[in-house]
Amino acid sequence: MTAATDQRTVLAVRDLKKHFPIKDGALQRVVGQVRAVDGVSFDLLRGETLGLVGESGCGKTTLGRVLAGLEKPTSGGVYFDLSEQQRTELDQALRAGQGEDLAQLEAAHRVDRLDATNWRRFRRNTQMVFQDSFSSLNPRHLVSDIVGRPLRVYKEASGSALTERVVGLLEQVGLGRQHLYRYPHQFSGGQRQRISIARALALDPELVILDEPTSALDVSVQAQILNLLHELQQNRGFTFLFITHDLSVVRHMADRIAVMYLGRIAESGETTGLFDDPIHPYTEALLRANPDLTGDDEGFRGLEGTVPDPARPPQGCRFHTRCEYATPDCGWEIDDVVLQLEDTPALFDKLVGVERRSPFDADLEFVDASAAAALETALHGDEVPSSMKAAIEQVSVGAQTVSIKFREVNEVLLTPRGNDRLAACVLDALPSRD
Amino acid sequence: MSTTSTSPPLTTSHESAFRVRLRRMGETSGRVLSNPTTLGGLVIIVVMVGMAVLAPWLVEPNTPNASQMPRDWGAIAVPPGSPGHLLGTTNTGGDVLYGVIWGARTSLRLSLIVVTVTVAIGVAVGSLAGFRGGRLDEILMRIVDVFLSIPELIFALAIAAVLGPSFRNIILALAIVFWVKYARIMRAQVMHVKQNDYVDASRVIGDSSWNIFRKDVLPNSITPVVVQATLDMGNIVLVGATLSFIGLAEAGLAEWGVLVSEGQAGISGGRWWASTFPGLMVFLWALAFNLLGDGIRDVLDPKTETR
Repeated sequence: MTAATDQRTVLAVRDLKKHFPIKDGALQRVVGQVRAVDGVSFDLLRGETLGLVGESGCGKTTLGRVLAGLEKPTSGGVYFDLSEQQRTELDQALRAGQGEDLAQLEAAHRVDRLDATNWRRFRRNTQMVFQDSFSSLNPRHLVSDIVGRPLRVYKEASGSALTERVVGLLEQVGLGRQHLYRYPHQFSGGQRQRISIARALALDPELVILDEPTSALDVSVQAQILNLLHELQQNRGFTFLFITHDLSVVRHMADRIAVMYLGRIAESGETTGLFDDPIHPYTEALLRANPDLTGDDEGFRGLEGTVPDPARPPQGCRFHTRCEYATPDCGWEIDDVVLQLEDTPALFDKLVGVERRSPFDADLEFVDASAAAALETALHGDEVPSSMKAAIEQVSVGAQTVSIKFREVNEVLLTPRGNDRLAACVLDALPSRD
Repeated sequence: MSTTSTSPPLTTSHESAFRVRLRRMGETSGRVLSNPTTLGGLVIIVVMVGMAVLAPWLVEPNTPNASQMPRDWGAIAVPPGSPGHLLGTTNTGGDVLYGVIWGARTSLRLSLIVVTVTVAIGVAVGSLAGFRGGRLDEILMRIVDVFLSIPELIFALAIAAVLGPSFRNIILALAIVFWVKYARIMRAQVMHVKQNDYVDASRVIGDSSWNIFRKDVLPNSITPVVVQATLDMGNIVLVGATLSFIGLAEAGLAEWGVLVSEGQAGISGGRWWASTFPGLMVFLWALAFNLLGDGIRDVLDPKTETR
């Protein structure tokens, strides 16, 4: 990143949450919340490209939609266009809690509280390119309508001036005048994505949110689109938020990377540093799961297990259920025992109920004593990770119940790790591989 | 595929958005009409509508009220081919040919009014419910449910009982019953279409809700409504004829259902013509619009199943 005298922050995201209610039953009562985005904070500086990486279901697309103003956040704030000083003031005000300073800042910068003028400014300056180029272009509109639409909305041009502006935009993305009067279905996927990009750039926005813009494209076309985006950024100084699951794509594009897992940022930092020396085991796992990036086949290995239910995220570190370096301090809890039980149907069928005193402390009731005993044995068995065993403070077997108490652990928060790096892991560094 | 080298040949400089849209419309109509049954339906419709429009020039209008059957008391129940009465007369001296031609005018008026009104109401209600969603959707859909539970025939009879039998009340009864279907179709379509990324793209641009509805949602949701409206142009005449057959229209109206009703007593006596010709017209009218509607559906909306 360049060290400018006043580095403006295009977006400052503070403890952002977006939960979706789960409704059930005839009365559609809310029975839970899917925590798609669950406490995310970061800064997006002018002119940089931030890569937002994660598996599907980690909340990266939802985050992108909230940042684009398409969804209202459940809590927390997105602040648009702050000077360095304003950003410092904001963080001070947020620490101090509600106050006049904060109210003033929020009225002018907080995206879900902007007045009409500021909202318009935000709207103009934040554009988005979607993943699905079929769905993101109105099939009944000509290219001239699609690309010219932003200019029409803000009454920037009309008539032949509008047409010329549109031609200019098309030429910037490698298309031309001959494509003006065609329908989207007459183009290939890559060309349609170019049209989407032209539309997003029409108003010369500050920020462009790219939601997996190349995931649906052939590899060769992908490279063309990435080069185009790179070139456009070099020439026109856009700020990009690049959302993707593809690490090789962000390596090519991003100055900084934020790795998301289950609604949270697991690790963020400058791209090369993060690739060379990941701190969070999840980052490492993602890198190792990517065959292009390791070079040797030995290192290539997929991530084990599935992403936990975002309605009930794990305690402690959210990744502990799949982490190969997990320690007793990573947040082992009753849900992990239940998860183990689900893998042993013979035992799981005999489970009657789970009486929780806390996420870490519960009684598991079985139909008979033998099942309870079997669980106790299983807890000492090889199936259970050793770090989980070590986290168990107390197990007592009653007639038909097993009481288990785990070590209580706080949430693992993002902490600075030097060199512009943040990571949410109890480990100081990854254990060496050999 | 390379993005630049596969560009189709350069189009000429006088290409314009208008021309392209016109050409696309032409291509679509061409595809609709390439199906012979659809074309057949359209031909029948053109003939029938032509008959309706040109009625005053085809058969001299009855005075003072052209939509009433003229009565020739000197030629009661004469068979087809009689002088002055090409298709014969009814047992009250009504000229069947007059009824057939002016009946087309009545039917066209009926179906046009009912379809226009019901499509307008249905599209408005369905769009509002689907586009806004939430509580408003809930309220509107419960209202729709109420209307859906009304049996159309009994409802029409009730209207006739309250307001008296007249053709206008048939229109009213049909309009009240038929809009619900369009509201439901439209709501489902709008809810589906508004999930497309191009709607979000327009929101990100900052376009107004009204523009998004007008430019993105409405044009992409309206096709099934157009198809249904075409089919209903036929169905409504069928139901209308049923209602006037059971006596909900004024007696003596130049209307196919009324004529069938008037002539039915004579069928057993061998006087088949008074019922048959208007009956045939109802059949052809409904058939033609169904053929056209299905043809349009096959081209514009191939995902919907055919009934």
